[in-house]
Amino acid sequence: MKRNIRFYLALFTAKITYRALRLLGRKGTNVPGELALYICPDFLGRVQLPERVIAITGTNGKTTVSNMVEDVLDDCGWQYTCNRMGGNVNTGLISTLVSHSSPLGKPKHNLAVFEVDERSAPLLLPYIKPDILVCTNLFRDSYKRNAHTEFIFSLLNDYIPDSTKLILNGDDLISSRLKEKNENRFFGIAKEDGEDGEMKNIVCDIRSCPKCGETLEWDFIRYHHIGQAHCPHCDFASPPLDYVITNIDREKLTFTLQYDGKTHEFPIINVNFINIYNSLAAISLLITLGLSPDTIAASMQKMSISESRYAEEKFHGKDIIMHLAKGQNPIACSRAFENAKDYPGSKAVLLYLDDYYDATYSVENIAWFYDTDFEFLKDDSITQIMISGVRHHDLYVRLLIAGVSKEKMTHCVKPEDAIEEYLPEKAETLFVIYDLFNLDAANAVKKRGKELILEAEKEAQA
Amino acid sequence: MKIEVLFPEMCNLFGDLKSMDYLALCLPEAEFIRTSYSTEPLFVTESPSLIYMGPMSENAQEKVIQKLMPYRERLAELIENGSPFFFTGNAVEILGHYIEKDDGSRLAALDILPIWAKRDMMHRHNSKFVGQYEGNTIVGFKSQFTMAYTDTDIYPLFTVEKGIGLNEKLKYEGIRKNNFFGTYVQGPLLVLNPEFTKNLLTIMGLSNPTLAFEKEVSDAYLALLQDFKDKG
Repeated sequence: MKRNIRFYLALFTAKITYRALRLLGRKGTNVPGELALYICPDFLGRVQLPERVIAITGTNGKTTVSNMVEDVLDDCGWQYTCNRMGGNVNTGLISTLVSHSSPLGKPKHNLAVFEVDERSAPLLLPYIKPDILVCTNLFRDSYKRNAHTEFIFSLLNDYIPDSTKLILNGDDLISSRLKEKNENRFFGIAKEDGEDGEMKNIVCDIRSCPKCGETLEWDFIRYHHIGQAHCPHCDFASPPLDYVITNIDREKLTFTLQYDGKTHEFPIINVNFINIYNSLAAISLLITLGLSPDTIAASMQKMSISESRYAEEKFHGKDIIMHLAKGQNPIACSRAFENAKDYPGSKAVLLYLDDYYDATYSVENIAWFYDTDFEFLKDDSITQIMISGVRHHDLYVRLLIAGVSKEKMTHCVKPEDAIEEYLPEKAETLFVIYDLFNLDAANAVKKRGKELILEAEKEAQA
Repeated sequence: MKIEVLFPEMCNLFGDLKSMDYLALCLPEAEFIRTSYSTEPLFVTESPSLIYMGPMSENAQEKVIQKLMPYRERLAELIENGSPFFFTGNAVEILGHYIEKDDGSRLAALDILPIWAKRDMMHRHNSKFVGQYEGNTIVGFKSQFTMAYTDTDIYPLFTVEKGIGLNEKLKYEGIRKNNFFGTYVQGPLLVLNPEFTKNLLTIMGLSNPTLAFEKEVSDAYLALLQDFKDKG
């Protein structure tokens, strides 16, 4: 599409707005893009894009993978445009493109790395036409917005251009089937000892063969529909892996990656499977971009997962774990609960899962509680559960249905009241599991938790 | 008492399937038969105390219609005879006349109930729901791509107080014919609405039914109802 007067008016307005917002100390994530779209609805089709565009999408992990890729590129001195400080929907990408271009809209860099909201595929992918697209996975997410996995799959499948090279999770039988005729590479983690075909989760969004309908046979299920399977009736099976982790050493904090006949060791940033998959997706992309494994490994050695998402701290003999669990996302919360169950020793868990906006202005649709594996929290190693939030009664009922005993639980609206029930002497670790916009409250809980640990310590000494 | 859950491997969206786990806690003696897509449904040869089917994807709807079409007469007979059914979300549409897709084409359904549905895949409807059922207030949520339509008003399930009915203009939600209960309201409805659940258990043949965690479920219901009132 040609650039017209309307486009330039939108560009200049967005640029001025971006600068004004920056002067006011704001990030200017979406507003410039909103204004540009208001003035020129097909702005994204007219704006000049960097020569090479990378898109990173998927239900879970796209922010972490994008951040990892960008950290390595920064460490290696690459110049590129990214939406790390902007939104991952169309207005956020436009704001990024506007702020990273010359006065007439020429991109400042030849490369762009965009985190892309999977639900926004129809508004973005036909215009940005990524050269490479990474999809981390496809799972159930917000029912209000994403409906169900098949719906998001069909959006991506319909709108990913035929020319886009795909880097896909070969252990995800749903997203690995995206645009099957496109050039593609698959990453995955080989079966580990103890993994089998037993279903441990409520949600598994692919149980029968997408080609013939026969029930799939699982070689192993890692969680939900992540694993390897084949159809006993036809030729459908998980794809062969191009980038495969063959060994995870959780003591040395390394994993071994095999690709193109080579073997290389990489550091583990976080031992949870989800974060190993995130590292693997990032490494697969960075190798595709031409970086050497030594360079990537050296950069990754310096990384940590953003502290707003996961943080461990030792405090007076106790571990305190701050664990983000994206609310209204049954898979993200189920992973957090399994992580709490699997963490060594005894644990006290505080839950603050309210969706901030629904809790403040509306009533949250809590149907997602019933797709979420609260059953992990009935494990004997979890000695105490403190439930907080506007929907605490509903969470309490959900945990009772999961089989958690009443004696283990307390529940109230405010997290600052919930933490007062914390009994440090009964657990070696305090897990605070919180939704995306509840970080400040979660940090206040952590602070009070520390005070209670000190008080318990003093009492024990007395 | 036998309760048949139809095609749980496909009809399992929006947490609704878990309502059967809750029912299992309420009915420890009941036998739950989870009929997979590749097997013959129990209702073909028996009359279960309840037949449940939950929400599914649009592709799954086509498969389920195909699967149930040979049993259309049997399903119609069971509904006419007063067998209890509980269908949630777009499972209701399986028994209607047809489902109209975005492109205007129609997917023929079982044509047992006087409703039809229209999909709008680019505009998902989300709302809160408050309604009335036999003197009790029903609470829940709606999140769906389809609106349902009917040309009769003799089968209402809930009358709407807040939110929408089968479609944005209709003031009743769901459909009830004899002991067939069909609704788009999520929650799951049976966990969120203890009096409705007791009523369903009575229809299934229990006298003076009690619920699992009845006090806690009732407390949660009252808190949710209050929240609906406070937040409009």
